Amino acid sequence: MTDWNAMSDADFRKEVRQFFEAEYPEELRHLPHRPKFAEIEHWHRKLHAKGWVAPAWPAEYGGMGLNAAKLLIFYEEQQRWGVNRGRDMGVQMVGPLIIKFGTQEQKDYWLPRILSCEDIWCQGYSEPGAGSDLANLRTRAEIDGDDFVINGQKIWTTMAHDATHIFMLVRTDPDAPKKQQGISFLLAPMEQPGVDVRTITTLSGETEFCEVFFDNARTPSENLVGELNKGWTMAKALLSFERIFIGSPSLAQNALGQLESFARGRGAFDDPVFRDRFAQAALDVEDHAALYARFADQLKRGETLGADVSMLKIWVTECFQRITELMIEAAGPDGGTIGPLQVGNVSVDVLASFYKARPTTIYGGSNEIQRNILSKAVLGLPG
Amino acid sequence: MTQTDTVSSEQEDLRLLRESARTLFERAGGSGRARKLRDAGGSFDPNMVRELAEAGVFGVAVPEEQGGLGMGLAAGGVIAEEAGRVIAPEPVVLTIGLSLGLLRRLCPEHPKMAQLIGGEVSLAVAWQERGPGGAPADATCRYADGRLTGNKAWVVGATGSQGFLVVAEQDGGPVLVLAEATADGVVIDKRAQADGSSLGELSFSGTLAAELASGDAVQAALAEAVADATALAAAELVGLSECAFEITLEYIKTREQFDKPIGSFQVIQHRAVDLNVMCEVAQAGVREVLALMDRETDQKVRAQLASRAKARAVTTAKRITRDAVQLHGAVGYTDDFDIGLYLNRALVLSAWLGDDAYHRRIWFDAREAEGAAQ
Repeated sequence: MTDWNAMSDADFRKEVRQFFEAEYPEELRHLPHRPKFAEIEHWHRKLHAKGWVAPAWPAEYGGMGLNAAKLLIFYEEQQRWGVNRGRDMGVQMVGPLIIKFGTQEQKDYWLPRILSCEDIWCQGYSEPGAGSDLANLRTRAEIDGDDFVINGQKIWTTMAHDATHIFMLVRTDPDAPKKQQGISFLLAPMEQPGVDVRTITTLSGETEFCEVFFDNARTPSENLVGELNKGWTMAKALLSFERIFIGSPSLAQNALGQLESFARGRGAFDDPVFRDRFAQAALDVEDHAALYARFADQLKRGETLGADVSMLKIWVTECFQRITELMIEAAGPDGGTIGPLQVGNVSVDVLASFYKARPTTIYGGSNEIQRNILSKAVLGLPG
Repeated sequence: MTQTDTVSSEQEDLRLLRESARTLFERAGGSGRARKLRDAGGSFDPNMVRELAEAGVFGVAVPEEQGGLGMGLAAGGVIAEEAGRVIAPEPVVLTIGLSLGLLRRLCPEHPKMAQLIGGEVSLAVAWQERGPGGAPADATCRYADGRLTGNKAWVVGATGSQGFLVVAEQDGGPVLVLAEATADGVVIDKRAQADGSSLGELSFSGTLAAELASGDAVQAALAEAVADATALAAAELVGLSECAFEITLEYIKTREQFDKPIGSFQVIQHRAVDLNVMCEVAQAGVREVLALMDRETDQKVRAQLASRAKARAVTTAKRITRDAVQLHGAVGYTDDFDIGLYLNRALVLSAWLGDDAYHRRIWFDAREAEGAAQ
């Protein structure tokens, strides 16, 4: 087994880059939508054969065992080449949860199935009444013999219509004194009579989000992960490392590249006002990357990231939105046109980028919630 | 030593430098000292200049073989940030970036080098001129037969300096000369600045001056020194912004209205967070620029980096100091509160060596030129 961490950063980057460039299908680069599994299955098989499905998992569980520094490089290269993350909820969320809190039986059963994508996972966190206030969730799970019986509703469940399993936060003790208590982590199969999935059509016309209804759905009681009523703490523990990725510069950098080639083709740079706004956006991206590097260095030194990492997400998502808004401006009378716009030999889907940028300030903890966190945890403001 | 060891030992050196500079400025009286100097007539304190020199401040970016510490612009940035935090009026960026930046590139053997590093003298740099409409214009100040004739504008530190490094024209080419402040035929017209300092409009009429260097090297060294000073001024603005933010944060935690600290209101909290994020982005961006400039030799790239830093720092300092006044409420508009000193200093440092809109233009043009060359 290769000890990737023993390689130099440069050698490792080269190895990863070469593999992506040689093996990743050209037609899947920079996919504008989230693919169904069938669309990327071929690529997943290649990754699986290579042993690269789970870069962050320890090698003993079939992962690459990368440390923070190598992991950042892996993701940077993935984003640089426009490699789709695939259906990675299992790898990103369920695997780490089971590795950290699961029983030996759970590890033996679920982890190989995640790697092979025999099971495809979706995340059941948000509910109609529990968005930013996630701890307000009401979906109930009650013990009935050897099963949990689940009743309630989840929403914004990404790709639930193409998933075989759901990992969810459910209320197991409605009488707990605080709403953060009495929440548990449960795994459940999607293919059963008590589960009903309806897709939600978004502003961009995509149907990647779903509502999931539970009407006396069942899951075996051994599918509880960790202790009963300790789900909230576990969910928070999972977030610590992932928080830097949601603030990574790549989305904004890619959009800036698109904006530049589009604006050049359209002659938008002839306008000094546009030039200035482009320069502002480009410098916003460059200086954000400098701040991102500071947090990445912290990780590389083996330090834990503090709550201040939230500032990356605030800055980069708002910057991403401004860049896509500039694309629409540069498009002029074509600014409302659906589909790719051809400019010289480049084609840019202006509206797709615009729509893609809108939810970034809402998901992963809305930017307003991030500001609340920074205000209290970093600035020490009262109330 | 591995590369990582080198990096972390450099970081450690910068940390120690920051600590000693901060202690020095704080012991001297922090931002309160700036107020006293302003009220006393608006120059800097020569004793403070000597103290800074003893701490090695002015020579940080001068190579060791020329009598400096050889720590590069990154170290200069540390000093500039600390000076910015206490809005020190001493010519820190002027000396590290411009005066020594010119001399070390053109005449490193000149005795003024050691005097500048030692804090014995300060030299202002007169390189810009005003056109008929008042805006910057090409140089027309002439140097011939050892005498200088013409006008120079926007000279920082003109009052309080013992002499002027003047960029002039000689036989159709550039020349750098040194004129004593007390020489015959020098007239200094002081233009009062928002922070209590002044900019000098200099006029020379047959003033005796000594030639230090001439030819294209002068133009090249000037461009490098201006880039250095621009990036260091950005660092000074970063330090200023951070401290203005800290003062404001403390204020909103203690000022009560409706029986609560105003910092408990979400609208205030979110504004404070936005200022904090701007500050952190500016600090990371400007520090990265200084480190990159230390490794970069291409003058065009260095100038473009400096523009990136100044554009970021000015945008940040303007927003932070103006929002800081708003968050202070009515007292923010009084001279009694220190926050106004920061607003005024930010105005002056923003205008010096180009503001954010100017530097975005320069940065963009450089980017286009680079793209066209490839």
